[in-house]
Amino acid sequence: MDYILDGIRQAIWLLITGDPETFSAIKATVLASTTSIIATLVIGAPLGFILGYAQFPGRRAARLFFDTLLSFPTVVIGLLAYAFLTRRGPLGDLGLLFTIPGISLGQTFLGLPVVIAMTASAVEHLDTRLETTLLTLGAGPRQLLFTTLWEARFSITLAGLAAYGRIVSEIGISMMIGGNIKWHTRTITTAIALETGKGQFAMGIALGLVLMVVAFAVNLGAAAFRRRSEK
Amino acid sequence: MNGPIYSLRNVKRFHAGRLVLDIDALDIEQKEIIGLSGPNGGGKTTLLRTLAFLDKPEQGRIFFDGKPAWDHVQEIRSQATLLNQEPFLLKRTVKLNVAYGLKIRNRPNIDQAVRDALDMVGLDYRKFSSRHWYELSGGERQRVALAARLAIKPKVLLLDEPTASLDRESAALVQKAAIAASQSWDATLVVASHDFKWLNAVSSRILSIAEGRIGANDDYFGAA
Repeated sequence: MDYILDGIRQAIWLLITGDPETFSAIKATVLASTTSIIATLVIGAPLGFILGYAQFPGRRAARLFFDTLLSFPTVVIGLLAYAFLTRRGPLGDLGLLFTIPGISLGQTFLGLPVVIAMTASAVEHLDTRLETTLLTLGAGPRQLLFTTLWEARFSITLAGLAAYGRIVSEIGISMMIGGNIKWHTRTITTAIALETGKGQFAMGIALGLVLMVVAFAVNLGAAAFRRRSEK
Repeated sequence: MNGPIYSLRNVKRFHAGRLVLDIDALDIEQKEIIGLSGPNGGGKTTLLRTLAFLDKPEQGRIFFDGKPAWDHVQEIRSQATLLNQEPFLLKRTVKLNVAYGLKIRNRPNIDQAVRDALDMVGLDYRKFSSRHWYELSGGERQRVALAARLAIKPKVLLLDEPTASLDRESAALVQKAAIAASQSWDATLVVASHDFKWLNAVSSRILSIAEGRIGANDDYFGAA
């Protein structure tokens, strides 16, 4: 038990003193996850709108596809992304393997199904009078898209928070695409895995505390948005 | 253009294979106030939605201001606006709700237009403009929804039982605002209501609609 308490004491010390290695992992995580959540929302929200609003052949199959992707293991997404980004892969020339943008790309694929499926569901459950109201006030197709997304903003933000929670806590993609390179692509989750394997609990616990604070903030935000969206 | 604002010819609408609207010929003149009466499920809402160009009829032709309506539906839809019985507001403040139609039309002086529209429905701008959609009563919501339509000064105002779920005071304000629209900018009004007293008082003619067909009490078609 002492070594755990000792680990927590050392972890707090690492955070207070701004240990460079610890904060390097935090910085890599913030960079990768922020880029990927922005890309996820920009791509995923309009796709979710189309999936939830438009009627087209194969729509139900597409819904089933994205719902299935929700439970896709992160290591499998990491494996697929690796296959594409490796030198022999179709996107190998981009040179994204073992880089933060590479991790972001993989994490975007992880977050997209969450945002697409939840946005589609939110659009499907919007009041049916919304469309009538917008059309009768003179909205064109573009205004219909943007106003509908704005009306579903609380649910879409909730989807973004859920996707961010999944992105920031994943390890498979960061490990396989990033390569866990110290000072460069080592993220919070890959650092925890490595340090724990080495028996160095202090940094693992320090980074774990940061992740828990992030998870708490995400859940707090999600709860607040859920309350607003239910009004 | 001095001809009718609406001309409907052989218009038929079906729902789940059932004929729900069947109009051989109907002309609505500019600046007219038409009352629609009839039993629930008789076709009043279907006709209003058709006149608002929200639903395309499976058969027949509709002319708006002399032009085939569905060939220019986006342009024409912005001139005929419908207010439903159940008010629906966007998840934003009263001011932004009323301003919505003005903004997408890039109209100038939006603030003044919002003030005027709220004034028409008896809502004080200073008191209500910054209120959110969830801070309003049912009657206030309906009046804000009407203000959003009045603000754009449509050529045609279509009202589907606008006072059915309102108390007497709110109903009177909605009725007064609708008539003001007709008087202020010569809007054509088509109003479905069970309030026969009001319909009789304001309408130039009343169309009775049942089983999707226009029939009794329609002196216009009765004479035709």
